Amino acid sequence: MAEEMQLTNTSANNFEQCLKCSICTVYCPVSAVNTAYPGPKQAGPDGERYRLKDPDFYQETLKLCLNCKRCEVACPSGVRIGDIIQQARMNHFTHRPKLRDVMLANTDFVGSMVTLVAPITNFTLGLKPVKVVMDAALAIDKHRTFPAYSGTKFERWYKKHAAAEQDTFAKHVSYFHGCYVNYNFPKLGQDLVKLMNAVGYGVRLLEKEKCCGVALMSNGLYKQARRQGETNMASMRLAIERGEEVLTTSSTCTFTMRDEYAHLLGIANDDVRAHLTLATRFLYRLIDEGSVQLAFRPDYKRRLAYHTACHMQRMGWAIYSIELLRMIPGLELDVLESQCCGIAGTYGFKKENYATSQAIGESLFQSIADANVEAVVTDCETCKWQIEMSTGVPVENPISVLADALDVEKTKKLNGL
Amino acid sequence: MRYDTVIMGGGLSGLMCGIALCKAGQRVAIVTSGQSSLHFNGGSLELLGYVDGQPVTHPLESINQLPAGHPYQKLGAERIAALAHEAALVLADAGLHTTGNANENHCRISPMGVMLPAWLTLEGYVALPMGKDCPWRRVLMVNVEGYLDFPVDFVVSGLRKQGLDVVVADVVTDELEQRRHTPSEMRATQLAKVLSTRVATEHLADAINVAAVDVDAILLPAIIGLTDDSLERLRQLVKLPLHLVATLPPSVAGTRMQAQLRHYFQMLGGTYLLGDTVTCASFNGDAVASVETEKLGDMPLRATHFVLATGSFMSKGLAANFERVYEPVMNLDVDADGSRSEWTRYDVLEPQPYMTYGVATTADFHVVKGGKPVPNVFAIGSVLSGHDAVKNHDGTGVSALTGLAVAHNILGK
Ligand SMILES: Cc1cc2nc3c(=O)[nH]c(=O)nc-3n(C[C@H](O)[C@H](O)[C@H](O)COP(=O)(O)OP(=O)(O)OC[C@H]3O[C@@H](n4cnc5c(N)ncnc54)[C@H](O)[C@@H]3O)c2cc1C
Ligand code: SF4
Ligand code: SF4
Ligand code: SF4
Repeated sequence: MAEEMQLTNTSANNFEQCLKCSICTVYCPVSAVNTAYPGPKQAGPDGERYRLKDPDFYQETLKLCLNCKRCEVACPSGVRIGDIIQQARMNHFTHRPKLRDVMLANTDFVGSMVTLVAPITNFTLGLKPVKVVMDAALAIDKHRTFPAYSGTKFERWYKKHAAAEQDTFAKHVSYFHGCYVNYNFPKLGQDLVKLMNAVGYGVRLLEKEKCCGVALMSNGLYKQARRQGETNMASMRLAIERGEEVLTTSSTCTFTMRDEYAHLLGIANDDVRAHLTLATRFLYRLIDEGSVQLAFRPDYKRRLAYHTACHMQRMGWAIYSIELLRMIPGLELDVLESQCCGIAGTYGFKKENYATSQAIGESLFQSIADANVEAVVTDCETCKWQIEMSTGVPVENPISVLADALDVEKTKKLNGL
Repeated sequence: MRYDTVIMGGGLSGLMCGIALCKAGQRVAIVTSGQSSLHFNGGSLELLGYVDGQPVTHPLESINQLPAGHPYQKLGAERIAALAHEAALVLADAGLHTTGNANENHCRISPMGVMLPAWLTLEGYVALPMGKDCPWRRVLMVNVEGYLDFPVDFVVSGLRKQGLDVVVADVVTDELEQRRHTPSEMRATQLAKVLSTRVATEHLADAINVAAVDVDAILLPAIIGLTDDSLERLRQLVKLPLHLVATLPPSVAGTRMQAQLRHYFQMLGGTYLLGDTVTCASFNGDAVASVETEKLGDMPLRATHFVLATGSFMSKGLAANFERVYEPVMNLDVDADGSRSEWTRYDVLEPQPYMTYGVATTADFHVVKGGKPVPNVFAIGSVLSGHDAVKNHDGTGVSALTGLAVAHNILGK
């Protein structure tokens, strides 16, 4: 009884659990480089007390928060500081989002449009005059390179080249590919299919997949994000009913759908959450249990560095990607100090954030340069854009690295195929 | 997921233990909910500072005056001397060079200006001989305008009590001014970040050099040297010996110690899972087979040995409700008074009984559950019962030494 009273006496985003130790401020990447930002403690639990009394205490500077959640990782009291800040933005920020923000937020809409005209778009988005116009008219920073749009959507490739074969497998998983795989980088999805097929799993797509909505949320388009979230959850339920786990290859999509849906959008996802997981975690489990084995190419030899993306750190799952990579005999892996790369989705694309974004990433870029590796491995696609643009070092997803190092025939044999 | 040892809690005790185990070739994982109480540390470790309210000069000689249940009594003076020596070497290997030794305490200055006995003090921080003459006659105390986590008046009055002549100078540089835009972020660690560039360090040195006239030494609040070598650079740039004085937390020294120890542990091959919480353990007979965490969910961490290093009440290693004091992960036996009215004393300045509460352990730090020792689980650091870090100033010493001692127990040495 006493226990229950103490446990249930917490508010939705538990701001009252804050002990005022200020440890969160030490680890906020924004506050470290931008003196205009009030910092996690002030923007989060401290400010919340005031905002509850009077909404006028809401500060515009809260939009400087990257939602990286590094403050939450550091907090010894388990305060959901990032959630408090995002919730405050949802509750108090009432302006209509700018055209630019709507454009950046609609990753799948914009994506579908441009896939039709990929070569032209890539060409135009890369063109200097176009960038200058985007910079001036839309406040999208001209230094940014847009992720290239691929000509063939992953979904199309899948239907044409993979779908039929998937039914021949005895076991199946479902795959939430996300907009990035669909429009920008179908190869990652193809790598996942290759890997799962080699260990005896057919890969299915969801009935209906919508962008997870992370960019919608960070740009203030909450209603649309909620609608898309409900669609995704409904599709995933169908897969789960068929007995399939739902796999992902992006840490941010995963984190958004597992945690932000419930915490920020009020979408009930308890039933889905346990079955929605990163492909690296799923695969690690199978290997750990001894139910599948991987064989790698004897001639594979590379030196790579692993970067822990913010939401990967928050989910606590980097260990699975790292341990899987360490299973590749020819791979020398340097695990970089876990720190923010500075881009945080669409944040770093905005002109007003460009300087902050690059200043945050500076020490990561330096450590990548010092590591002297062929490529960086990370589970987040926006980190990929940021690191590739800022260091020139190519970035790959762990699934692609595994697929590349895999000895497919030998792996199939080991798994009785 | 299988390890030789899984350590719950990644503060000073957990890291010390993990480092010693990794060095011996073990596969070790540390799971830790959040950052640790090291962040409150002012730059010194304390082995034993006070006994019965009296400052201790020779800690090893005073250990026998501690009560029977104190963790040090389980180790004995001889082992403490050896472990203390080892602890200083581990810190140095992690890049944390210190002055001091276990035979004789020195004095540090608290942020409130009080001289306190200390065992090891980080290089660059004030460490004065205890009970002997101060090496300086006249010092400059640098004050940073707008910085409120350093009550300069208290510190100055503390120094004057030592017979020192103190000059105070307000120092302003562009970088420090810029940080003032957000008063809530005018913190030691945030100042250290703006001071980390070469230019910012030079500006600070210039400003200090202007003020440092006719003094023997310069004292600066500890607002520099968070992750880089900016403190060393500053010390080279100023024309007189410069020493740091602890500020209110979160501290530059503590944050640095935490980062360096964690980094060293990872360099030795250790796995550090930050931001995850151990929720429960599965027993196989009397022994623990695995522990579950919030984030890893249904994929438990299995190990041969487990170490509980979850800290005291503030770190949630111990918890209390209206009825009892308990250990939240495994519901281990705790040493605590039964009735709630006995937990605290009305006068906050009196020693508080709850400070000595903690998990019960055997002579070699095995934890106890239902009256029976758990054969493969040990406890270390401030989750242990029998010591009061506020009264005895022995918190970091107990953490470092029990961490190393348990590593040796696990390794069978
Ligand atoms: C406010 C304060 C100020 C202090 N000031 C000083 C000082 O100035 N000088 C000095 O010498 N000593 C000081 N001490 C004492 C000293 O810091 C501690 O004794 C020592 O650092 C404790 O180390 P520890 O490793 O035992 O525990 P902690 O540092 O408390 O670390 C425990 C860690 O375990 C984690 N944890 C808890 N539960 C779980 C779980 N279920 N799963 C995973 N992780 C978990 C916590 O998040 C925490 O990171 C201070 C202590 C406090 C609380
Ligand atoms: S770290 Fe957590 S408890 Fe400490 S000030 Fe920040 S929110 Fe509060
Ligand atoms: S979520 Fe990231 S940017 Fe926002 S307050 Fe926390 S640490 Fe800072
Ligand atoms: S995180 Fe994934 S699903 Fe969400 S916007 Fe980005 S690519 Fe789309």
